[in-house]
Amino acid sequence: MSDPIPTRTTIRAYQVGFGDCFLMTVHYDDSAGGDRHVLIDFGTTALPKRPRRSTKHIAEHIAETVDNKLHAVVATHRHKDHISGFSGSAGEIIRSLNPDVVVQPWTEDPALEADASAPGATFVADLARMQTIAGHARDQVRGRANGRERRFGKSVREEIDFIGDDNLSNREAVENLASMGGHNVYTHYGEPSGLESVLPGVAIHVLGPPTVEQYNAITRQRSEDTDEFWHFQERASLREHRGRPLFPKAKTWGKARVDLPLETRWLMPRLDRIRGEQLLQIVRVLDRALNNTSLILLFEIGRRKFLFSGDAQIENWEYCLKHAPDKADKRKLLEQVDYYKVGHHGSLNATPKTLWGLFKNRGDESMEDRMTSSLSTMGGKHGQPHRGTEVPRTKLTDALKAETNYQSTQSLLSGGAPFNERTYDV
Amino acid sequence: MTTTVRTPRTRPLTIVAQDPAVKVNNRILTAQVMVPAESLARGPRGTRVHVVDYDASTGALYEPFEYPHADGSFSDPFKRPNKRTILEDPRFHAQNVYAIVMRILGRFEFALGRRVSWGIPGHQLKIAPHAIADANAFYSRDDECLAFGYFPGSNGGTVFTCLSHDVIAHETCHALVDGLRKHFMAPSSPDQAAFHEGFSDIVALLSVFAMPEVVTALLDRPAGDKDGLQAENGLIDKRSVSMEALRTSVLLGLAEQMGQEMASVRGDALRQSVQLTPSVRYLKESRYMEPHLRGEILVAAVMNAFLRVLNQRLKGLGGKKDRFLNRDRVAEEAADCADYLLTMAVRALDYCPPIHIDFPDFLSALLTADHEIRPDDSRYSYRSHLRQSFADYGIEPGAKLADGTPTPDGQWTRFDDADFNYDCVHFESLTRDVDEMARLVWEHRDRLHLFDRAFTEVVSVRPCHRIAPDDGFPLRETVAECRQHVTVRASELKSKFDIEPPVGMPPNQVLALQGGTTLILDEFGRVKFAVYNSILTSAQQSRHLDYLWKYGYFEKGASLRQQFSRTHLRRSLGEVRDIEERW
Repeated sequence: MSDPIPTRTTIRAYQVGFGDCFLMTVHYDDSAGGDRHVLIDFGTTALPKRPRRSTKHIAEHIAETVDNKLHAVVATHRHKDHISGFSGSAGEIIRSLNPDVVVQPWTEDPALEADASAPGATFVADLARMQTIAGHARDQVRGRANGRERRFGKSVREEIDFIGDDNLSNREAVENLASMGGHNVYTHYGEPSGLESVLPGVAIHVLGPPTVEQYNAITRQRSEDTDEFWHFQERASLREHRGRPLFPKAKTWGKARVDLPLETRWLMPRLDRIRGEQLLQIVRVLDRALNNTSLILLFEIGRRKFLFSGDAQIENWEYCLKHAPDKADKRKLLEQVDYYKVGHHGSLNATPKTLWGLFKNRGDESMEDRMTSSLSTMGGKHGQPHRGTEVPRTKLTDALKAETNYQSTQSLLSGGAPFNERTYDV
Repeated sequence: MTTTVRTPRTRPLTIVAQDPAVKVNNRILTAQVMVPAESLARGPRGTRVHVVDYDASTGALYEPFEYPHADGSFSDPFKRPNKRTILEDPRFHAQNVYAIVMRILGRFEFALGRRVSWGIPGHQLKIAPHAIADANAFYSRDDECLAFGYFPGSNGGTVFTCLSHDVIAHETCHALVDGLRKHFMAPSSPDQAAFHEGFSDIVALLSVFAMPEVVTALLDRPAGDKDGLQAENGLIDKRSVSMEALRTSVLLGLAEQMGQEMASVRGDALRQSVQLTPSVRYLKESRYMEPHLRGEILVAAVMNAFLRVLNQRLKGLGGKKDRFLNRDRVAEEAADCADYLLTMAVRALDYCPPIHIDFPDFLSALLTADHEIRPDDSRYSYRSHLRQSFADYGIEPGAKLADGTPTPDGQWTRFDDADFNYDCVHFESLTRDVDEMARLVWEHRDRLHLFDRAFTEVVSVRPCHRIAPDDGFPLRETVAECRQHVTVRASELKSKFDIEPPVGMPPNQVLALQGGTTLILDEFGRVKFAVYNSILTSAQQSRHLDYLWKYGYFEKGASLRQQFSRTHLRRSLGEVRDIEERW
């Protein structure tokens, strides 16, 4: 008996505020096999206030849509805005849909935690350290660390809080993902995705992340420094978190800061601000490191190509676009993308201009069958327009609106269906 | 008859010679350095430095240190400190940063023959020796301070960046260069971005080698150490002072002893410079567009020149038949050589253009400034060694003749002021008054390569008084910086300035073209050098604009507050520049 042939593909982008939740349904000519459903990420850091929906509500909608059966779950990386829906009651619902396979990047392989000598294990340990640091940073701006309020300035405080929160370890979601599937696949650039068995007739290309052996830049640290940098940072943040004085025997002014020497008062608040900005730099770096563990999947279904890149940023993309031995083949594939899940909620450096330059199916409105770009984001949550770091980045969304069929979950704020939907004949 | 007790001009203060990892006989190597004897308020707080020991990470403000000199004496309260004092007494840390910053400031003032300002308003640079729990240390112009971090080391102890001589010297150097050339912090070119880092590393490393205590300790490493110069009974085998032996013993020796944990703060400029095999290709390689990596090329060129000169000087020590050299003399020669190169490097700043510095121009400035005060280079050949060493790394002097060919000696050509009208200015005012200098500049704007439709400002006029080592006579000069900028739209670049706009730059992009001229006046107030980067040099302006556009400097939100902090963080992480890929 021959494999069923895909006839159409439907993609739903759910409105989860600042986060990702995509449901891909591949329709087949084989009525017995029916549709195959793949959930790609499910998480949020900020749900929209209107219409008010919980992740449980979204999970129930997904369950109803897939008729209580998911064929696969893909969790591109472990940020809260991509996996928080796999915890709590929403996570229970997804678990009950019995996915046959759960696909995650190689960095999530529990075997790496157990075997410190395995290739990439050092980097994985660093990722855990980064999450510890993120927790400490968030506690600092929320005033939980060493019992005093931090004076970092509002915008710095808010950004640290947002990034810190997104980078917190979400143990429940991680464990649920590790145990909910029929089997788990941890993959990387150039390897099978693990979805082949549940999506017959579909070619799936894993374009990222590379392993450390393939491309060291994803670790964002010099190879010769090994993991020392994050060791330092973790130990430093721990000391800060505990608020232990550096010189216990030295005389200091008390925390009440009464009668501070006049000559010190000008500099002290400035040093507080410096510390805030320093902390922000660190959490941005670790945020980016985790983003770069994102799976990048290109689904080739019939004559159509669908690109899901999670939150991958340039260091992740760079291997595929510029350094991989088979980069020419991959670049050729990317030229014909029909559907692009906009990377990292539309931030300034997750749709590399090299990638954008490859897309051939973009053009003005008169272009027949031009590509679709789908953005899942929530403006005003991250970055600042006056610094040119707003998410989504206006320059990027302007380009997407001009040259693609642009859809954004932000347009769903006024109510109606909780998702954007688009169906392709393949 | 009453006797008057004369107040000393300097006082000795003990510092950590390099960092706590460098030890002799298991003792942390310390040194006593001379700093100006001034009446210190608590902090310590003197004319130029104010130490505020506030830890923003833990919120602790340590009690400001008060020097005991009520009796009028200027004693050293930490003479021969033990390990515990060095590592656990914040008052010693305060002294360490105060003394090293003052020492570096003193070296600049000695070299330039005048008082030198910080790149901040006012006179007192604030220093926070335990500012943050972080593996970082940096100069912040906005906050008028040097902030030193600390972090837990791998052995459980704390690593203090405020105890590392070269880290302190490096950050102090940023503040001083910023005072001398404000626009060197502005984005301009790969070389300018690298210059601040590279130059600060050069000053930091040479200032460490200029202490005989450090060199002696390196030479005194135990016999049997295969990389060391075998030192017994105070003697060194003459055969072992070859270039290669000096490279591995003196330079790599120190690099190895420096605490490697500190490498995440300071980078590893010394090690990199020793190991960066000479090649003319680095400057064109994309990875060397990174400021700190590119800066290492500059460091390598200078440190290899240091080895060349030292090697030549040591050859002249002892008789021809002598097999051994006196170790202390070798150490003195090394320290003296480092000290002179340090002086040369600092003096060169006066001969640099006010904006858009690149390595070739810095080399010409080095050669010219030294020639002016020491015309005869035959004894140790500092200039020829520097020129050869820079050439080994693909850096040729930037000085050109009128027809565009390089000057034979690599130095700036002497300015021909025969047609200058000095009747419009007054000599005395010209040596100190920016308005008087502006008059001279305006009257001769064309000859000084200035664009008369640009906003023009004489930023500084600085009289200098240096003693020539050859004849002991003073060399008097006046250094003036004149800067220009003009605001244009990208669409005007080609028609008005013959500059090709960068690819992709929108026609309505507003930008500033910048240029300027450094004038060196002789003791009679006549212009003897005019070192310029003109707004009207279209090829050069095109390169600057391309660089700024490519690396995103037309984006909003650039802040100087965290500029060095970010650079150092990028150095720690080996961060990939991705501006070209951004939106």
